[in-house]
Amino acid sequence: MLFRSIYLKTLRDFRVPILGWGLGTGLLMFAVLSAVPSLITTQKAREELVTLAQQFAWIAEPVHVDTPGGYATWKYGFTILVMALWPLLVCSRTLRGEEERGSLDVLLSLPRGRGRVALEKLAAVWTALLLMGLIIGLLAFGGGQKVNAGISFGDALLFGLNLALICAVFGGIALLLSQFTQERRTASGLTGALLFAFIVLDMVHRVVPGTEWVSRLSPVYYYNLSRPLVPGYGTDPVAMLVLLALSLLLSGAALVLFVQRDLGGVVALPSFLRLPERKMSPEQALPVNAWSLRSVYTRGLAMIAMPTLWWTIGIAGFAAFTVVIARQTEKQLADLYQNTPILRDLLTKVGGSDINNNATLLSFFFVFMPVLLMAFAVTQTTRWSSDEEDGRLELVLATPQSRLRVLLGRFAALATATVLIGVLTLALTALASAATGFALDSGHLAAATLSMIPLGLLMAALGYLFAGWLRTAVDTGLLSFLLAIWFFITFVGPELDWPESVKRLSAFYYYGTPLVNGLPLGDMLGVLAVTIAALALASLRFMRKDVGR
Amino acid sequence: MSAIIEVEALTKSYGSKRGITNVSFQVEEGEVFGFLGPNGAGKTTTIRTLMALLRADAGTARIAGLDCWQQSVEIKKLIGYLPGELALDPNLTGGQILEYFGHLRGGIDQAYLKQLIARLDFDPTRKFRQYSSGNKRKIGIIQAFMHRPRLLILDEPTNGLDPLNQQEFDRMVNEVRDDGRTVFLSSHILTEVEQTCNRVGIIREGQLVRVGGVAELKDIKHYEVTISFVEAAPAEAFKALDGIALVEALADGHTLRLQVSGGLDTVIKAAAQYSVVTLTSHEPSLEDIFLRYYEHDGLAVKEASHAV
Repeated sequence: MLFRSIYLKTLRDFRVPILGWGLGTGLLMFAVLSAVPSLITTQKAREELVTLAQQFAWIAEPVHVDTPGGYATWKYGFTILVMALWPLLVCSRTLRGEEERGSLDVLLSLPRGRGRVALEKLAAVWTALLLMGLIIGLLAFGGGQKVNAGISFGDALLFGLNLALICAVFGGIALLLSQFTQERRTASGLTGALLFAFIVLDMVHRVVPGTEWVSRLSPVYYYNLSRPLVPGYGTDPVAMLVLLALSLLLSGAALVLFVQRDLGGVVALPSFLRLPERKMSPEQALPVNAWSLRSVYTRGLAMIAMPTLWWTIGIAGFAAFTVVIARQTEKQLADLYQNTPILRDLLTKVGGSDINNNATLLSFFFVFMPVLLMAFAVTQTTRWSSDEEDGRLELVLATPQSRLRVLLGRFAALATATVLIGVLTLALTALASAATGFALDSGHLAAATLSMIPLGLLMAALGYLFAGWLRTAVDTGLLSFLLAIWFFITFVGPELDWPESVKRLSAFYYYGTPLVNGLPLGDMLGVLAVTIAALALASLRFMRKDVGR
Repeated sequence: MSAIIEVEALTKSYGSKRGITNVSFQVEEGEVFGFLGPNGAGKTTTIRTLMALLRADAGTARIAGLDCWQQSVEIKKLIGYLPGELALDPNLTGGQILEYFGHLRGGIDQAYLKQLIARLDFDPTRKFRQYSSGNKRKIGIIQAFMHRPRLLILDEPTNGLDPLNQQEFDRMVNEVRDDGRTVFLSSHILTEVEQTCNRVGIIREGQLVRVGGVAELKDIKHYEVTISFVEAAPAEAFKALDGIALVEALADGHTLRLQVSGGLDTVIKAAAQYSVVTLTSHEPSLEDIFLRYYEHDGLAVKEASHAV
């Protein structure tokens, strides 16, 4: 039944992501909506929350944050957009990825037009997004019902639909960009950077008055115009239509280009946008002294050089940005802190101290740093399993390099990149601190930036370990799930008053609050010990297993 | 000569699926050994076990007296390997790939590398992803030969090569043999093996069914010959000839179809007694030979096939 058409077959391939992303995001909304009444038990607490949200308007416009729907919409204003990662990965893979593998050649030999093949695949992506939206809407409705939040069934579904539409826009961008790139990774990387840029662009008008016109350039702005979970606010049909039109336009343009170009080729850019071709004679083509070709380690470094650059810009840039934000809101937050028990409680729990310490507020933001570094590790560690799965390790292992050496060489390259990101984050944050005059203990700052490195290495080692048994897709899914569940435990757990023993299950727990309390040496050594154990097991497994596709 | 490859009762399965069962053979130093078998017979499994990419369930495999699994790094210093399906970093140029593997092998003779590139008319300036399947094969062959290994293990090496490059490859293999080095190559093309190999092993459904000299292949090699005559020729005139396995008169009454093993000389001479319109000879695929030769659980049909 599910193999009767390209559409159904593609939709079948998405069954796990539909459930994973739908249930994951839906349960997050369910948990947050359920937890709100425990946050606002008195009128005073309600007022404090409203005041607090105003100070954090850069996250999302605070509208009726004293209601479950308003609070959930504000709190997960932009973090929920992490869901857009799925369509951007899938849409860059669905045509370009299949071209890279050569599987589209066979599909296009069937008596079907190219346009129809692409359209059926795209329709499957849209259907998957709508199903995810439906699951999220249903769970949000359930969460609202549990606390009598006044969220109607229709509003909950519109919330899911709005999310599906913004995701479809980023899917459309990825699909369009993949028509211009030789590799799917390039298209998904560029779209990921655009997602980040559009989120920041949308924030601008909430931080700098009179800049709404800038934010209008971002699709995220139109997503945020609808707040179906906020009672009495509803949706903006025009904004939703803009999102729909954008996704149709982007996807349509991508399909038109796909139908017209060579299979396996790219859309030709105007000459002024093209990189000059480097002519090389066969005699010059043997780069005897190229550093990146000298060993498995240096080759591994070269393979991840470009993603490392982009992730460094993102992570170090975000760290420096938080220093600037903390400096700008320092005065207001200090006043607010003195008069707001909720904020005091929140900062003490997450930030690790009181607002009299500059580092406390920054520490609140800094807990996101290891999440980002671990996400980087997830994306790069899966290259290892995909290289094995695609047979790219076969010839390397046919040279006189031991299996252990090959595995450790590749891991060392990823470890080097992880350390580099940590060190550059330290440098940029110190620079931002000095430039803004935001006083920070240099030792603690070093601890905060460098102690995220063991967490990144832990994720990498787990990726190598799982690759010993699992295929790339399952390996990636499991690592992403682990990251998501740890995130959930650490950032949602406190609101649900989960016990300490549960919080200890999350790797983020061991990061602590180094900006305030210095390096948690024991915890870090513990994380390193687990990392070494995971790597040792991964090595043992790799040394004994059948290497194969 | 001493054996450079010694395989004894080698067995490998993939869970419940068959791989190879109880495979034993030896390859002498300095010979070109062909490993023949239809698709899925177990050629690649045997090769990948020799290369320590797979771990055998039972049995032993030794190369130059070293255990293939325990001493694989030492063994790989002696080997040049070409996998059946070549997968390499799509972003590297052919030249970069060759340099990378040269470094991993501890350095190679650049002059010899350039010579190989020229011989196979390979363009090393393009990225791997841009190469045709034939060019991908060429880069695989070059990297296998470039460090002048003592033993070459090549899995279906000419797959995708054009006839000119196949000839060049044959010359390269002959040079290796003349140099006293050894080649172990797998193929499912009978004529290819006949031209280049001293000895062959035939594997079918995971079991080695025969090992012997190339000359011995001739007794299992059948031709299908179809002769159309101006007027009907008697089938009996051909049945008694040496090497005739079957004679069949087709419905038009003017055509005979013969199955012949060995040479065609006697058939052609017998046919010349009549007025021939056309004579076509078709060499059956290895699959056909296997089906015919071993169709009854390994009992040689050949023994019974003389009864026409």
